[in-house]
Amino acid sequence: MDITQRAVKGATVLDLKGDLTYSNRAAFKTAVEQVKNSNCRHLIVNMEQVRFVDSSGLGLLVLVSQTFKLQQAQISLLKPQSYVREIMSLANIPKMIPIYETEGDAITARAA
Amino acid sequence: MVGTILLVEDEPVTRTSMAARLTRLGYRVLEAENGRVGLDVARREHPDLLIVDWMMPEMDGPTFCEAVRRDPLLKSSQLLLMTAHDQPVQIAEGLARGADDFLSKSASKQEITARVLAGLRTSRLVRALETAGQELVSSMRLLQEKQAETEADLQSAALFVQSLLPPQGSPVQGIALAWEYQPSLVLGGDLFDVMAVDEEHLGLYILDASGHGVAAALRSASLMSFLQVDNVLQLLGSYDPVTVLSEANRRFPLSADGEYFTLWVGQLHLPTGRLSYASAGHPGALLCSAQGPSQWLTRSSCPLGFDPVARFERDCVTLMPADRLFLLSDGIYEVQSPSGELWGRERFQKVIDAEKRTSLSMTIGTCFSEARHWQETHQFQDDAAVMGIELTGSPKGMVNG
Repeated sequence: MDITQRAVKGATVLDLKGDLTYSNRAAFKTAVEQVKNSNCRHLIVNMEQVRFVDSSGLGLLVLVSQTFKLQQAQISLLKPQSYVREIMSLANIPKMIPIYETEGDAITARAA
Repeated sequence: MVGTILLVEDEPVTRTSMAARLTRLGYRVLEAENGRVGLDVARREHPDLLIVDWMMPEMDGPTFCEAVRRDPLLKSSQLLLMTAHDQPVQIAEGLARGADDFLSKSASKQEITARVLAGLRTSRLVRALETAGQELVSSMRLLQEKQAETEADLQSAALFVQSLLPPQGSPVQGIALAWEYQPSLVLGGDLFDVMAVDEEHLGLYILDASGHGVAAALRSASLMSFLQVDNVLQLLGSYDPVTVLSEANRRFPLSADGEYFTLWVGQLHLPTGRLSYASAGHPGALLCSAQGPSQWLTRSSCPLGFDPVARFERDCVTLMPADRLFLLSDGIYEVQSPSGELWGRERFQKVIDAEKRTSLSMTIGTCFSEARHWQETHQFQDDAAVMGIELTGSPKGMVNG
């Protein structure tokens, strides 16, 4: 899985490319840890290029959301593909982590 | 490190003068007056370089070289063949019979130094390679031994986990039970059970641990022991699915690695066929009605540990005689074809519907063979489990165990 980090206004975006699964969890955790240590208040995980998320991937997203909340920080998900969205809905993820359709929406929603 | 050189030469004057030259150059020099003694010394002392005269009685230089190359202990030694005349034909023969290089008896001090240095350099490289090779072989052997130990441990753990699963057949009168389970690794994280709660109720569940391997299997076994009927009745007083899920949610938070469970729990009232059930993020169960179309018994909900105060919803449905209820892990239908297309829930459901008339175990068997056919491989990427129960008799069937 390829992960690139970039800064946008008031947030950090992680652009993911590949599957967010058990075998890729170390890469994702490392990337998130870096963002967390930079005292970022808002992490936007761009899911547009993610084809598949397995149960471990879901758990990681929730874990990240829980730890960010403890630091009064937030995570948002950006544009998950329809199958990934379906898996996330089944596990009630949208009730825990906000999902946005555009980067602008994610940034504004947090700023508001 | 000073190199050790073995000089094999029958002619005492030449041997002594060459030995003196080499000693002056700083090497440790061993001497042998013929090939036979030379081989003995070489085996005992393992010199870095052998300098051998061509012309010797009994065993000449090339024959000595051949003997060295045949000897397992000596075969990688560096051999310098000493000769008075360096004819191309002679050189070719010497090389062909095992020598590495030549040294003329009339060679200058500089040439001797250069050839000896080159021989020793090669010798060091060969020795280093041999040592590395031997270390690799012994590391490999150690690794294989460790791996065999781990495999045996895993096999024994897998047998234990299998022993936790319910016996196939008839858990209570009027209910038939069949299942098939294919862990992706030796040890699986998906577990299920069917058990008599009391004379009128049958409890059943399927759980799926996220992640794979030993850690997932251990966590699953611990949730499974929590879900044992005696334990649940003692703690909670009933096997009510919502109560069970809420308690499990409290007891099994998200692990430090973000691992968790999904769990589907049902309780069947045997006299009426009424099934109450609840799910914590589990993709669920499929009710295959004998009369009508099949339906999924699930709803969107939090897996265990996602939200400490999550509320779970109870749903109810009534099972009729000959109806079948399947509990399954997503590993059975989330299989991909070589081109990446998912088999999916709908295709799974179609198999279940099409197989209504065949036996329960054959229906489950067909699900597995179709999934394997789709992914074009026998081994599943994730744990795959399908457990089915069928109401075989009158819904008033009573518990016998």
